[in-house]
Amino acid sequence: MSSSTVSTTTPTRHQFDRRVEEVKPSKTDMNFLVMDYLISEGYPVAASKFAAEANIKPGPAAESIEERVEIKQAICSGDIQTAIEMINELNPEILDRDHALHFSLLRLHLIELIRTSLAMPPNKTDITPALQFATEHLAPRASTNSEFLEDLERTMALLIFSPTSLTPELKALLDPTLRQQVANHVMEAILRSHGQKSEARIKDLVRLRAWLESKARDAKKDIPDSMPLGLDGEFGEAEGNGAHQGEDGVSANGNNQDGDAMVS
Amino acid sequence: MSGGRDAGSLGISLGGGGNGSASGLTIGNGDAAGGSNAGNAAPFFIPSYLRGTRYADRLEEHRRVQMAAQREKDMQAAQVAQASGGAHQTQQHQLGSSIGGHGFGGFRRSPHSSAPGSLSTSGSSANLHKLGGPAGPQSGPAAGSHRGLAHDVIERAPPSLVDDAPAPLPSRWSETDKYSGLEIVDADGLELRYTPAGKTHSDEAAAVRADHAMPRACGVYYFEVTMLSKSKEGLVGIGFSGPKVPLSRLPGWEPDSWAYHGDDGYVFCCTVSGKNYGPRFGTADVVGCGINFRTGEVFFTKNGNDLGVTFDKVKHDKLFPSVGMKRPGEHLKVNFGKDPFVFDIDGKMETQKRIIHEDIHNTSVVPLYPPAKKLGERALIHELVAQFLAHDGYVETARAFAQEVRQESKAMKDLLGNGSSTGERFLEPVEDEDAVNRQKIRAAILEGDVDKALAYTDQYYPSVLRENENIYFKLRCRKFIEMIRRCTELQIAAAAAAEGRPESFTVNPTRRHNAAATATAAANGHGAPPDDYDVFDSQMELDDHVASNGTAATNGRRGGGGASGGTMSAQPTKLELLSSAAAAGSSGGAGAGVGGGEGEDDLATLTARELHSRYSRLLAATIGYGQELKAEFAEDPRREVKRALEDTFALIAYPDARESALGHLLEEEGRVPVAEELNAAVLVSLGRCSAAALERVVGQCEVLVQEVCDEGGQGAFVNVKRDFLRG
Repeated sequence: MSSSTVSTTTPTRHQFDRRVEEVKPSKTDMNFLVMDYLISEGYPVAASKFAAEANIKPGPAAESIEERVEIKQAICSGDIQTAIEMINELNPEILDRDHALHFSLLRLHLIELIRTSLAMPPNKTDITPALQFATEHLAPRASTNSEFLEDLERTMALLIFSPTSLTPELKALLDPTLRQQVANHVMEAILRSHGQKSEARIKDLVRLRAWLESKARDAKKDIPDSMPLGLDGEFGEAEGNGAHQGEDGVSANGNNQDGDAMVS
Repeated sequence: MSGGRDAGSLGISLGGGGNGSASGLTIGNGDAAGGSNAGNAAPFFIPSYLRGTRYADRLEEHRRVQMAAQREKDMQAAQVAQASGGAHQTQQHQLGSSIGGHGFGGFRRSPHSSAPGSLSTSGSSANLHKLGGPAGPQSGPAAGSHRGLAHDVIERAPPSLVDDAPAPLPSRWSETDKYSGLEIVDADGLELRYTPAGKTHSDEAAAVRADHAMPRACGVYYFEVTMLSKSKEGLVGIGFSGPKVPLSRLPGWEPDSWAYHGDDGYVFCCTVSGKNYGPRFGTADVVGCGINFRTGEVFFTKNGNDLGVTFDKVKHDKLFPSVGMKRPGEHLKVNFGKDPFVFDIDGKMETQKRIIHEDIHNTSVVPLYPPAKKLGERALIHELVAQFLAHDGYVETARAFAQEVRQESKAMKDLLGNGSSTGERFLEPVEDEDAVNRQKIRAAILEGDVDKALAYTDQYYPSVLRENENIYFKLRCRKFIEMIRRCTELQIAAAAAAEGRPESFTVNPTRRHNAAATATAAANGHGAPPDDYDVFDSQMELDDHVASNGTAATNGRRGGGGASGGTMSAQPTKLELLSSAAAAGSSGGAGAGVGGGEGEDDLATLTARELHSRYSRLLAATIGYGQELKAEFAEDPRREVKRALEDTFALIAYPDARESALGHLLEEEGRVPVAEELNAAVLVSLGRCSAAALERVVGQCEVLVQEVCDEGGQGAFVNVKRDFLRG
């Protein structure tokens, strides 16, 4: 960033930042937002500590938190069978009604079976359990839905290629983030089945922040070139690493009237 | 909020101050201002489709501020009037507060608006002293109003958000922006009749505009016209026009005007040649006109049916609802949203909102936080939450959160064999002594033990209370309120015991839950070995000793209850009662276990007489403390201080303060703002930013929404508070 840009935008940034500071969101709202996140995403210990430390109630979604966490852990650790049983115990309608969700769980189970067989020594590879599961549970469902079929075919391709020569697309199936994704969908479905908001509010809030900035820039509004949030890792590993600064790093930027440290 | 008095003051203030636009100016000066204000001034309403929008919230906030200002004036007038009479001070406080209903709300709000300046510089409260000081003692009643005015300017921070008063909604037909021959029939200014004097020229028509332009900040604006009766041709145009468009012509025919005409069902866009659009309309038909400022699209409705978009790219500024008619005998009535609409405009608005929110939902946060490209949105949120918890001193929570996130990632990291794709490096909270101290102070306030909070603050951050006198004052007031709370509880318990219903006084389960949570909070908060309690402990032993001389049953009961963190919550109460009882000159043991939480169990075992005598002693102590408080701040000229004192003292006057108009003051929620304000002041004194990153995100959102909202852009469909924080 050239120094001339900085100098012309500095007054604007001050004005904008001052307005931001004047907003003073209510602590009640902030605490609610955080509690909502802890509960929706399933961090029960943190949630109960927070209820105590901030003296607030966990809210209605807290009721299903234990089950949700167990289910999430089961999915994230690859134990899909247990997860499905637990979901059905909680509320059999969740999977009965949401075929796509049910299919994604079954497919994840197939992937785990394939992963197991791939992990065996080359001469002892046994793909029978995977094949059997696919034919019994996935194929009947896939025949009714072209998207399911495509997903199933792609998954079965894992068996054909050697693990070292997978395309990025196939590799993604073995990536643990897929478990995370499925787990998130299951969490949302459970929350919905309890009549709760399916997603923590903070998620849309950060998206709103990104959306608003892009709209304001599209409309050529007079806003600073850079609007830091005040987080350590904000500018990536290159700039944000080094010694852990904790909140001191944040406050230094926040209190610095020039705020140029972040820009120049 | 009740009573005709409010309605009256609202009427006056709106009539006087609401007219911003050129065309509307005259309404107040016309017949409305001359006659009865309350009757003719525009009534306050929010059209159904705008409810919950940021614009509607701003309107309401603006109205609230105006009403508060009006009430303030009324009260000052009453004070001046009563000052000569003297004597009835308490009564008057009660009266004033119950009319307002939110007397203390104003006080509690002030920290958010006026604190920032004083927190960082500690200058503004000093300035207030200087400014207010000389004026105070100089003269009696006469100075009152003068003082009020001066402080209005200095103290009244802009209402919560930084922007100015919102553009007003159209509320009636303009008395002046109207062609002669058009008659406004009703006092509300909604009904129109065309009765031209003499024969009309063939080209001549008569139009009128509303008192205000359609505010773009609404996002969507909509109004409906009911045809009451029509001439044979039904030559009526319904639409909107700019402020300069001649009123001698039907809207739609002139540049800068758009309308749907009843005689042929054509629409006209700034020209005399129309295009075929919808059905004709006549008597008893309801015709609606709507504009979507985001898309620039205009649509009309007839009897609840959407006739479809007819104009687009209408991006002009300052467009006023307008109707015009050409033949005598036309008679119609407009609904600007005070009454329910025939067409389901709420649904249409909801659809617009959904489109925008869908768009937001699908926005990537990577531009906001580049590491999210690799680590995902989740990483950003984890960091925001972890930073918030650390910043605000939620030590235990921060630790638990880091641990749980680590566990969650572990399964997947094992899968990968290395920790490559999940970046949780930032989550480990730094052990921070200040955070622990701040949490101790917060926990003390949240459990209602103001003395402990004051002691901790003095111990760890001695300069903070000195430099933030307003916070010190609020803490002292809060302590007084806590004492009254306990008085009330004791009093109710005593009354119940006297009637042989020992359990009937028991507070509702929620309260109990809170109290228990608070007790845990205290226990968790003080992770450090309880060195700090040494001084309290000795006093507690003393208390127990005294109490055990009283009733053996009580003693045994307490021993059991105290096992699980109960000791913690019992201590502060005693400490506080000790000090307050000392002030009242009575012996210290009286109040043992009187506070919230486990203390209530003790109450149940006491006899009515014991309860009553405890109550009397506590009441004496409370009044003693109150007098002390009043003496300390009696000379304080700040209006908010006076107001807070008055409201707080009024609580004593009620037999059961919880049932009074000021009962909300006693709620435990009232502890939160005090605790948070003190925490923010401590942060500032440590040279840290008083806002966490999460708060900054919200602040940036609010300011950015202002930026993208006012031209009726997409921001009009975003209400940060309602849709994203609480939704």
